[in-house]
Amino acid sequence: MQDSDIQARLAALKAQYSQRLGEDLQTLTAQARELSARQSGLDPAMLEVLKQGLHRIAGSAGTFGYPELSRDAREMEMWLQTVIESAAAPTPPMLSALHDRLRDSYRLLATTAAAAVAEPQAGYDLASGDRPIRIAVMADGETDALIHSLTGFGYDCRALSAERSCREWQPDVAIVDTARVDSVTWRDRIADMPQAMLILLSDDTGFDARLQAVRDGAHGFFAHPVDVPSLERHLRQLVNLPQQDPYRVLIVDDDLELAEHFRLTLKGAGIESRVITAPRDVLRGLRDFVPDLVLIDINMPGCSGPELARLIRFDDDWLRIPLVYLSAESDVHRQAQALAQAGDDFLVKPIADVALVAAVTARAQRSRQLSLALARDGLTGLIKHPAIKELIEIEQARSERTGSEACVVMIDIDRFKSINDTYGHGTGDYVIRLLANLLRQRLRRVDHVGRYGGEEFVAVLPSCSLEHAREAIERIRVSFSQLECVAARETFNVTFSAGVASTLDWQPAEALLEAADRAMYDAKQGGRNQTRVAVAP
Amino acid sequence: MKPLQRILHVEDDISIQEVAKVALEIVGGFEVRSCDDGQSALSCADEWQPDLVLLDVMMPGIDGPTTLTRLREQASTQSIPVIFMTAKVQPSEIEHYRALGALDVVIKPFDPMMLSTQLREIWERSHAG
Repeated sequence: MQDSDIQARLAALKAQYSQRLGEDLQTLTAQARELSARQSGLDPAMLEVLKQGLHRIAGSAGTFGYPELSRDAREMEMWLQTVIESAAAPTPPMLSALHDRLRDSYRLLATTAAAAVAEPQAGYDLASGDRPIRIAVMADGETDALIHSLTGFGYDCRALSAERSCREWQPDVAIVDTARVDSVTWRDRIADMPQAMLILLSDDTGFDARLQAVRDGAHGFFAHPVDVPSLERHLRQLVNLPQQDPYRVLIVDDDLELAEHFRLTLKGAGIESRVITAPRDVLRGLRDFVPDLVLIDINMPGCSGPELARLIRFDDDWLRIPLVYLSAESDVHRQAQALAQAGDDFLVKPIADVALVAAVTARAQRSRQLSLALARDGLTGLIKHPAIKELIEIEQARSERTGSEACVVMIDIDRFKSINDTYGHGTGDYVIRLLANLLRQRLRRVDHVGRYGGEEFVAVLPSCSLEHAREAIERIRVSFSQLECVAARETFNVTFSAGVASTLDWQPAEALLEAADRAMYDAKQGGRNQTRVAVAP
Repeated sequence: MKPLQRILHVEDDISIQEVAKVALEIVGGFEVRSCDDGQSALSCADEWQPDLVLLDVMMPGIDGPTTLTRLREQASTQSIPVIFMTAKVQPSEIEHYRALGALDVVIKPFDPMMLSTQLREIWERSHAG
């Protein structure tokens, strides 16, 4: 047999496997998300299911040309193993971190499905290997501050004048300041780049201005002075939108044919679903598939829809999941009766495909946002404080086991109190969000970032030498010091001091964190706006 | 030395089963049969008499090590050599599997182009000693 034939066969198997791997990763991501949203009483069986799923990927992905995914899955599996063996249950934020890694693995697969995954480089670069997001700014000369800030976040950001064409450059997002550029000019230019998503800045914050923005097809609307962290977060959401994990719907309907029709309709809109025809399988379906929403037929033999909804609601774990009835029941009173028992909404069959997709998307989105919000710091969206310590313990345990080096970085914003005193707490919060976004953007996908205290952050960098960690933090420090912060009409710059310590030099976790903290304190003593390394004892 | 010809592959993951079949039959030129679980492996080994059993460690139902024990208890399969496949890499575990009577351990994920060579090497090494 020809070598090319063998390669062709392997390629065919790989294509099959990639598809399954994508589905498996999505399911594992959903399981991790669900676990992270649990406030108490983690189900050990769910942890075990998750671990076994990771084990399968660890043992197979490399065979099909995804060595990086194999390694990632193994690391996560071993992390979970450590967690399962240790007496303390994992906290929601730790599981959030796991969820984020799984989601990133899925994205990695999605972006590299065609080509074999290359070996990762030893260096310490930006998290994403993709090209930077391109942003065109039209503000008639007044663009420097904004471009400067956004470039600091790693975007490829350029000013766009009325004359210059940007046909070759093809921006992903266009930001237009409607206070400075007249509408005829910018509408003309925007028409040239249909692929770019539009964000409008305005002096006018009234209803009419917003309505006009909607009618102009804007994806975002910000009033002057522009809150850069909000704008940056909005940008991230916009550009991430297409690759967001698909929503997941569990369909419970005894009519298999109809249920399949719903499944395919949702599939067409990028929503994953699983069909269950026997009501008694619903609890297992919830646990295995971890949906964002459940569609329930109201008339089923053996167990009615409302009965099933009440049964699901016995379990606090599924409280955040919307339960939506699907029924031919058009009598409003009967509908109300069903909703009075349990359930969140009523869709009447026959239902148009668009209506089904719209209803499901809106509710699934709420449910997804809710579960992500539960385990995170409200202001920054970062991992909450108590969990970061446990993450450090886990990284240290792994470092000891495998002999690899991990680093902990303590970061503290310089003269934060005077920022609060001078500009008010609102501005203080703004600076915190700015740094949080920057850290998230500039660290690798495997790194954990947590908000440790008021203006203190901790980053945990696995598989990273002391020198690489210092370099990475130095780069972020320089970027941060150059970002312009805006308070009312004033702009100012903020800096931070950082301390770095390695797992190879400091044990246990507490000593490691203290060492990083002392190094950070040294940086403060040394004049702030610098990074110090904790020298081995 | 008896040439390695028939290999029984026991693996619950269908994707791995298929890629191993290509790796062993087409790349390696072996004769291969695949089983989904330990139970069916016991009867298949008894009936087909393979030269070697390639056995996944972690399987639902009876796992790899248990399947090995059962193969040893069954007179017709008592002396068929076994190689484990596993995604676990701790050296102590590999030692443990060798102590159970396996010829060696193949680490997952494996390279489909290299699997046959790897098995041949293990085969020759075990017959040389």
